Amino acid sequence: MTFLVDLGIITVSCLALGLASKYLRQAAIPAYIIAGIILGKSGFDLISSYEFVEWLGKIGIILLMFYIGHEFNFKGIKEPGRFFAGYTDFFVNFIAGFLLGLLIGLSLLEAFILASAVYISSSAIVISSLIENKRLIYPEAETVVWLMVFEDIILAILLVVLTSIMSGSLAMIPVSLATTLLLIVFILVLIRRLSNFISPLFERDDEIPILLIFALIFGFSAIAHLLNVSEVIVAFFLGSALSGVKSFKKPFGAIISFKNLFLTLFFFSFGMVFQFQFATLSSADFVLALLALITLSILGKFASGALIGKRLYNSLEAGLKIGAYTTPRGEFSIVLLAVAIGMGTSISELLISLVIAYVIILSIIGSFFARHGNRISKVMVGSINKLTKQKR
Amino acid sequence: MRISELPEIGTKYEIESPKGDKVAVIFLTSGEIELYVLEAGADKPSVTRLTSEEARRVGSVLTGAMLTIEREDVEVSFSEIADLRINIHICPITEDMEGKSIEDLGIRKRTGVTIVALSRKGQSIISPPPETVFEEGDLIVAIGEREQINACQRLILGRG
Repeated sequence: MTFLVDLGIITVSCLALGLASKYLRQAAIPAYIIAGIILGKSGFDLISSYEFVEWLGKIGIILLMFYIGHEFNFKGIKEPGRFFAGYTDFFVNFIAGFLLGLLIGLSLLEAFILASAVYISSSAIVISSLIENKRLIYPEAETVVWLMVFEDIILAILLVVLTSIMSGSLAMIPVSLATTLLLIVFILVLIRRLSNFISPLFERDDEIPILLIFALIFGFSAIAHLLNVSEVIVAFFLGSALSGVKSFKKPFGAIISFKNLFLTLFFFSFGMVFQFQFATLSSADFVLALLALITLSILGKFASGALIGKRLYNSLEAGLKIGAYTTPRGEFSIVLLAVAIGMGTSISELLISLVIAYVIILSIIGSFFARHGNRISKVMVGSINKLTKQKR
Repeated sequence: MRISELPEIGTKYEIESPKGDKVAVIFLTSGEIELYVLEAGADKPSVTRLTSEEARRVGSVLTGAMLTIEREDVEVSFSEIADLRINIHICPITEDMEGKSIEDLGIRKRTGVTIVALSRKGQSIISPPPETVFEEGDLIVAIGEREQINACQRLILGRG
């Protein structure tokens, strides 16, 4: 019965830290990771079955991607303004992260992972902060929401690319890429074909709807596993395929609850498994790299925001607001890293500790930036104006 | 009016007045509704979050529909008993009645009308006991003969 002790420890500690972070108006994600670090391998080592908790955490990632896939809106993103915002955000931040990764001595693959982690904002933190701080009336807020949607597509693409690259030898890359794409098409077509058949099943009041959803999720995950395709990608496209099925909305609320629970377990398990090398962490090189990474990724979002604001609203201030709102990083950076680790390729401890520390710090700083975005952008515009005047 | 979809948040309806004031209504995916008002030139919007019930009330006030809700009379006759006709009268209580009980007002004693039900905040109380105290916003359902109802109108509700 030791798994009950594990679950007791995890849920109680996450509840306590989660409540504390909500009370302090902070993002809860770093709190759960920190709970994992404290109680797991690098801390008090209180968990008896690490494997069991990791399994539960994996379900969390699958459900998160299923959820993102479901919420995904293909139609709206094609609007030119939103598209421009999306790729500006991607190019500026991804390239900045990639170059910095190479500069601190990471391999090409690791630099790619780091760049993805730097690029992707946390839609959970960004969106809840837009609502909490009452920004929804501003047009910039809409751009930010669509940026998050665009980042979701890029995330799916990055995951496909990443898992294909990592699948083995160079010759295998096209094969695994083709397998992945075929499986995606298969899911999309199959669900569309079966839609009339499964739609009435979702309307039932018994356990069938939720069972059906999990059967689809785990069934396709199993197929993905056999074909050596990432189950995370499959979950994403399954979610987006099901969003087109009538009456799927009905059981979806239950899925959100499951996602919230298992995602918390995932963040805990992520912090729990990793063995922090405290000696490395305090080394000057590491601290320097971390500081450079943080500075660069904050500047990156402000730069891409400014470009977007200039183009869409002809206003630097609106752009800097977009930059401030999208500063928080969180769940996706961790998910990407977890998927990469899950593929079995060795990833240096330096990169893992760098990303964990980065996400913890940037989700906290980011929430602050998002909350005070309006004031920060006003001050920045003021000081820029002063500088340009002095030049004249 | 501008309607826009906000993925993961909901749907936004936005109106800008000629003066530049903005009003936005956002239907959140959670089912609640946020009402934003941003005065032209103001730094921050004012926002309130409404339940769908509250939003419907605000909505009907804005369309003017609320003003038409007044007294309503229904006459029920029964096929078995040809000469039995019951007048059912539905009306909102007046301010004078708030805080007083059915007994205090002596509705039955003074007019002969019986209060058979009371609708309070969307919930109904069937055959309320005499000590039931009226609250703001209550709707009463009363039965009685035409003359009794008229007496009730005059003496209790203070209407013509």
